Amino acid sequence: MRVAFCFDLDGTLTEEEILPQIAKHVDLYEEIELLTKITMRGLITFSKSFKLRVRLLSTIPIPTVKQTVNTILVNRPLQEFVRNNKSDCFIVTGNLDVWVDEFISREYGCAYFSSRAKVEGDKLIDIEKILDKQEAIHTLRNSYDLIVAVGDGMNDCSMLEQADIGIAFGGVHEPVSTLINIADYVCYDGLALAVLLKSLKQKYGREN
Amino acid sequence: MAGKIDTVIICAAGLGSRLGLDMPKCLVEIGGHPLIYYLLNVLYDVPNIRMVVGFKEDIVMDCVRKIRKDVVFVRNPAYTTTTNSYSLYLGSHDLQVPFLNIDGDMYISRDNYEKFVDKIVPGEDLIGVTLSYTEDAVNVLLDSENRAIGFSREKISNYEWTGIAYLANIKIRKEGLYIYQELEAYLPIQTEEISCFEIDTPQDLEYLSNKMGHL
Repeated sequence: MRVAFCFDLDGTLTEEEILPQIAKHVDLYEEIELLTKITMRGLITFSKSFKLRVRLLSTIPIPTVKQTVNTILVNRPLQEFVRNNKSDCFIVTGNLDVWVDEFISREYGCAYFSSRAKVEGDKLIDIEKILDKQEAIHTLRNSYDLIVAVGDGMNDCSMLEQADIGIAFGGVHEPVSTLINIADYVCYDGLALAVLLKSLKQKYGREN
Repeated sequence: MAGKIDTVIICAAGLGSRLGLDMPKCLVEIGGHPLIYYLLNVLYDVPNIRMVVGFKEDIVMDCVRKIRKDVVFVRNPAYTTTTNSYSLYLGSHDLQVPFLNIDGDMYISRDNYEKFVDKIVPGEDLIGVTLSYTEDAVNVLLDSENRAIGFSREKISNYEWTGIAYLANIKIRKEGLYIYQELEAYLPIQTEEISCFEIDTPQDLEYLSNKMGHL
């Protein structure tokens, strides 16, 4: 059986939310953090909030954003799991390709699904497409028999709903309750989650 | 002894309707702490703990996380229509390693836990029995080598099944009804006599509260 593992990025694989860190460059840390929080809770839709957040951050040159993203702390046990299972791990993030591409390839080296930006030189012009996370699962269905998805926020719900095994992970903050209600497992510790993922891989990756 | 147990699965999904309190049994306070506090303390050196939750799962998870952050919660949303055996299936279906199963409403001392663990032979199943103390227990018939050779609701012996089991070869099936029925296919199974206590009724709770008051 081929088993795929899908991970949300911000606050799941990383130990801090990325956009608020970027916002420090334009002195909007608290504002973006607040927007990020209420988006996580599902008080506004991800796409509305993301458009707004990107608009507020779009004046920052892309290389500057990348520099900041490269300093983001990652959850080590999860990073190790992804690196050891690169070909079957996928990062599924609403974040923009131009902001996280370098970070993902350096820290994880796996394929990813993300929102797409329109750029001119070093400047972010617009959002070309906001990722609906269930699309990633639909795409992976063609090549995988079993899909495990890990997330924490409201915009991870469609991903967990479509996956075969869903894990709500509260490494950074409490997973939103709607996500917990559709999850099979709830976990608050990166090392314990990595042990669970290894166990699922060993069991279902082996069966025919 | 340390290192013998890799994973423990605690089943705590049920309503505990016989106790008649509007809270999961593992959260009932005794001696100033919820019952689960004592169990997690006894299991302090076990690296992996899974807990199957259902009834009032949010408050169970909240409470347990404060005691131990790395517990993995396995959800059984169908807890009103399923049994402990199904919860144990949910908690164990992916495991490739032997594990210890304990109910979330169990009170066991560290000494008795160690006594049980010391008796474990790697690769072999072991179940815990105790001298009968409840009326509707599942009784365990033992042979001369203290191996379980039968289970019954009838009073066939002086020993009852505790719900504590180290399962190395036994697999719990999805469609199982009761855990002891899942074990029946694997008899004979080695047993170890331990002293432990389960909170099923208001009388059990009163008994344990008094007992702990004297400790």
